[in-house]
Amino acid sequence: MSEILLCNKPIKADALAGQCGIDSSMIFGAQCRQPSMLTAYTPYLIGSESSNAAPSNAAQSMVNQLTNTAKNRELTNIALSFGGDNTLAIADISAKLQAAGVATMGPATSFYGNRVGGFTDAVKNYQTALMEYRHVIENKVTSSAIKSAAKQKAMAAFQKMQQGFHHELKSVTGAAKSSRGTPLTSGTRATNIARSSRNVAKLNITSQVQTSNLVKFSQHAKFLGNGLAVIDFASRVGNVHISHKSGQNWERELFIESSSFALSAGTGIATINAGTAALGFLMVATPIGWVGLIIGGLAVVGASAGASMWVNDFAKEDAGNWYDSIMSWIN
Amino acid sequence: MSILSTLFAFNAAAMFVALILYVIFGQVTVRKLRKNPATKDKLGIEFASGWSILNVAQAIALPRFITDKLKQSTISSMYAHTDELVAHTSKFDRILANLFYWLFTGAGLSLALIALLDTLGLFDYIESLA
Repeated sequence: MSEILLCNKPIKADALAGQCGIDSSMIFGAQCRQPSMLTAYTPYLIGSESSNAAPSNAAQSMVNQLTNTAKNRELTNIALSFGGDNTLAIADISAKLQAAGVATMGPATSFYGNRVGGFTDAVKNYQTALMEYRHVIENKVTSSAIKSAAKQKAMAAFQKMQQGFHHELKSVTGAAKSSRGTPLTSGTRATNIARSSRNVAKLNITSQVQTSNLVKFSQHAKFLGNGLAVIDFASRVGNVHISHKSGQNWERELFIESSSFALSAGTGIATINAGTAALGFLMVATPIGWVGLIIGGLAVVGASAGASMWVNDFAKEDAGNWYDSIMSWIN
Repeated sequence: MSILSTLFAFNAAAMFVALILYVIFGQVTVRKLRKNPATKDKLGIEFASGWSILNVAQAIALPRFITDKLKQSTISSMYAHTDELVAHTSKFDRILANLFYWLFTGAGLSLALIALLDTLGLFDYIESLA
């Protein structure tokens, strides 16, 4: 496990020892440099306490990857306001949701879209409630009624997020174990984080996969200030941008992403549209009734999501070849 | 190229054409209907932005005996109202609606069918025969 340190204002390395008990000899920047002054919005690696030796290769490559590709300003702000484990958990969830091909527009009109959008909304609401609570604390409001009302509101938002997205949260927070529980699993801990104002955030990264999830997440998340982060779960533009940045054939990537998007969206929408017409027809022509309508509706949504995911995968495999043959035909 | 890839490529081409027709139909016909106070509220439920374009095409393109049944259904408010739409569209609009709707639905459903058949293993079976 590697610990990454992020801060939102320049801090002297020596001052860290006083602030959070981290010795300055344990801080490593990119390319393994040891800074005397920590720059704001830059990831630093915290070495292990036992040995003063240079950090492992894996840990170094994580810091280099974050320094070079992540949007560290957004990442720092999000890590500070969400808490470190929280940021990792959300980055993992968004990567999972994308991996299932659910950021596609086809199913987005139905079940999965609601799920992705609903999750973003739930996190956002929770976040807003937490920020209100923090605001109350920072302004030193003396009325305990206002304080406890704000805390209640944060807890309620937390409960709502927990109930709605139980499975997603469980699958990611299982990986990020902390003895105190993560803020996503413990409302009390999150309100404690909100109460203390900080300018240094720590991220405990356990694997390379998590690092690249973080990088992707930081590229799609935008911190709007006041604790409001907008998370764009759609990765398609990101893929094109990444291959443009790394000097690959970005036009080809654009073709692949847009054609697989159009095809999977088209398939999903056509299936849903034909399905709803068929259901309405069956409802009048046969005695299926409301129960049949609900079961049929689930079947239509399932078929639509399944078909558009398959089309998305298949189009991603084939679209590269189409692009190549179209280009050779034009030239 | 395998049978699956060939089928998929033809289907994909049909779908792309259908999606272009989608935009044209939306701009030419549905925009007009949205502005018309007589049809403004008769375009069906909007699941997602732009869905009413599909509802309109569906209401015009489906055979009369189906849309008449849909009208009696308890969920009839989901669908666009055929009678008003037909009264306020030109012959060109209705041809465009038919063309778009059947190309779109045909391509979409056959892509879904290919997905189903591939999942069941039909194409692997055909390849193994050759």
